[in-house]
Amino acid sequence: MSKTLRAGGPALPVLEAAGVMKAYGGVQALKGVDFALFGGEVHALCGENGSGKSTMLKILSAQIAPDAGTISMDGAPVSMRNPVESLAAGISMVTQERTLVSELSVGENVLLGPRKPRSRWGIDWRATRQRAREALDALDCDADVDDLVQDLPPGQAQLVEIARALTNDTKVLILDEPTSSLSAHEVDSLFRAMRALRERGVATVFISHRTQEVFEISDRLTVLRDGRLVSTGVSADYSPTRLVSDMLGRELSAFVPPPEYQTSADAVLSLDALAVRGKFSDVSLSVGKGEIVGIAGLVGAGHSEVLETIFGLHQREAGRIIIDGKAVSIKDAPAAIRAGIGFVPGDRKVGGLVLDMSVLENALMARTSTAARWARPRSASSVAFVEQCVADFSIVTESLDTPVVRLSGGNQQKVLISKWIGTNPSILLLDEPTRGVDVGAKAEIYRILLAQRDAGLSIVISSSEAPELLTLCDRIVVMHAGRVAGTLHKHEADEGAIFRLAMGHVQ
Amino acid sequence: MLRNFVRQRFFVVLVLLVVMLVFFTLTQERFLTPENMSAMMTSSSILWVASLGLTFVMLAGGFDLSIGSMLALCGIGLGWFTNEAGLPLFVAIILTILLGVALGAIVNGIPIGKYGLSFLVVTLGSLILFRGLTNLWSGTKTQQVISPFLDELAFGSTLGLPNPIIVMIVTFLIMLYVQKYTFFGRDVYAVGGNAEAARLSGIRTSRTIIAVYALSAGLAAVAAVLQDARIGAASPQVGDNLVFAAAAAVLLGGTSFSGGIGGVGGTVVGVLFLGVLQNGLSVGGVESYWQQIITGVILIAAIALDLVQRRRTTRSKSLRSTHVQPVSSAS
Repeated sequence: MSKTLRAGGPALPVLEAAGVMKAYGGVQALKGVDFALFGGEVHALCGENGSGKSTMLKILSAQIAPDAGTISMDGAPVSMRNPVESLAAGISMVTQERTLVSELSVGENVLLGPRKPRSRWGIDWRATRQRAREALDALDCDADVDDLVQDLPPGQAQLVEIARALTNDTKVLILDEPTSSLSAHEVDSLFRAMRALRERGVATVFISHRTQEVFEISDRLTVLRDGRLVSTGVSADYSPTRLVSDMLGRELSAFVPPPEYQTSADAVLSLDALAVRGKFSDVSLSVGKGEIVGIAGLVGAGHSEVLETIFGLHQREAGRIIIDGKAVSIKDAPAAIRAGIGFVPGDRKVGGLVLDMSVLENALMARTSTAARWARPRSASSVAFVEQCVADFSIVTESLDTPVVRLSGGNQQKVLISKWIGTNPSILLLDEPTRGVDVGAKAEIYRILLAQRDAGLSIVISSSEAPELLTLCDRIVVMHAGRVAGTLHKHEADEGAIFRLAMGHVQ
Repeated sequence: MLRNFVRQRFFVVLVLLVVMLVFFTLTQERFLTPENMSAMMTSSSILWVASLGLTFVMLAGGFDLSIGSMLALCGIGLGWFTNEAGLPLFVAIILTILLGVALGAIVNGIPIGKYGLSFLVVTLGSLILFRGLTNLWSGTKTQQVISPFLDELAFGSTLGLPNPIIVMIVTFLIMLYVQKYTFFGRDVYAVGGNAEAARLSGIRTSRTIIAVYALSAGLAAVAAVLQDARIGAASPQVGDNLVFAAAAAVLLGGTSFSGGIGGVGGTVVGVLFLGVLQNGLSVGGVESYWQQIITGVILIAAIALDLVQRRRTTRSKSLRSTHVQPVSSAS
């Protein structure tokens, strides 16, 4: 299936997948995808959120098994049942979840496990340090082999993982969004390392949401959309426009840079050049009374972190948060609640609900930390409030005492929104408000949010689903790589414009 | 080198230990005598050996509540092997240690390492189970174990050093070697620090976990031999508070409950700290409950101090990286 090879490249792909299918529950993540990777190339795997590219990488590294299809190495079919077997076959994956032991030294992490050199009396530490040093040098990484990994900046930690892959006689290196948490300087050294690997004949496949990076580093690229292969070929044959239209599945209208919007004078909430180290920088936006502002971005763009920072969960590095015209310093969640902010986190099962507790208790959890702290938990007014929410938001539950774990995802989300509305906030922040929610409940959540807006609530929504933002928001701030790439007004925003800005696609 | 030593988590406790030694030497004239020092060390020998085993379990991110019961069970086992079975003492000692290793691996190690059961639940169960077996086997009676070799082990000396101290030094050096120079030792750190990373690097994590519980039980069996030798008898009542003292020693020595951090070097500092504290106070005629109060306060204070120090280093690091351009990361 592959057409072109770089001059002098080997004839057989070092790793090849054919007709790969994978379903999660009822969702078909991959619908028969072919993919070929050659020695000595850097290959970018591109696609929107949910296109199936992460699933593909997990299958290539044997973290999950495909439902159908074959994987071959050097032309021969292989069956690898787990990551340890795939590692033995020469496939190393560097994931976003770090596979380093932070309490151990850099050198030991490079040669973690049974690969440390032996001497007559056991582990040969001198040889271990030397081999680790050589692997790090090959990547241009100057981390001290005796330093603990926990003392390293994130970019160097990633290089340590790649150095480990190098000492492991790696033929295929899989990098899942390697640049998402790196500074520009660290990205440069990562790319140097990737080029050094290419010289050694290693095949590298990586995911990046940044168009510029795809064209800067990749030799070939493959585009997936909705679990299907759209196109594959030499990167130089693609234009940024073609890449984006392959990913989106249609031509984009001519792109006109949006005009800047003035910060409204009576903003309820405004951010002034807000920055959090390693997450985002120079983010400014403002939200008026009764306005819904969306923050769009691809995974890792920093849009969720902006909300978390407003709620006091990250330490500000620079910039100001201004509420009702006054600069505020919000250190933690109680301070944020006192300042009139509510926050519906992205993963309701982690940061939102106590699944084994009842609807009533969950709905009152944030409320009891403000007005009703000394009231009895089942006071008439509390119960009346929750009953009102259940009726207004049409929450389907047997009773107020039913544990929320027995509710559907959509109803859980509505309980979570009730919980924050109960604190009488003036600003409500929602991160991915309809993640894992069915279509019917989605529409109801939109109705609730729009009704709250009309009642004067200021709302900020962070979402990676462009249609959701287009439905709800009066204005959409698009982030790319931790910075604001542009602001779109409701009437000029469409999916293509959001996507272009989110990909850092500025010409 | 020196900086790394100061950064060791047990450094604060080591400084306190030295302060205490100086204080007791200046205030108690009967403290720094060869007789008292050797008595202090030999009375710490059981705790010393058992704590070394517990250190490995905690490095791997687990805990073994059953070491006290294991000590009693193996002590009774040694008595039975010599008295009832009439085996030569040398064989009886080997069998006792094998009994400990086997029970530790099968009863604690396999359920925790292979089947992923909670270590607190499993070792709480085996704590009760082993105590029950001890009482069943002994009929709750203490039985004399008379042997010239055991007498020599507990009260004799070699080259001027009391034999228990030699056992302590040898077990410590072996464990130090295992910790630093064997693949098993490094695997323990990797499993305790990041089990998923360890698994993906080809470390057999379940085998490593089974091995630390076998090791901990095996060292409890060695401690049982010392225990029988000291009292000249196999008693089902011993070892009740061993696990608390051992946990205190290991924690004072800087090994953390979360795994991956610490080591046996710190543990012996912790054991010596507890030993000197107890000895110094009792030589000075202070009631023993002061020892408990001081131990408790220092345990909490040492861990709090460590946390404060940790927070400060993290903060200064983040400040540094904010203000310095990332031109060179070597500083």
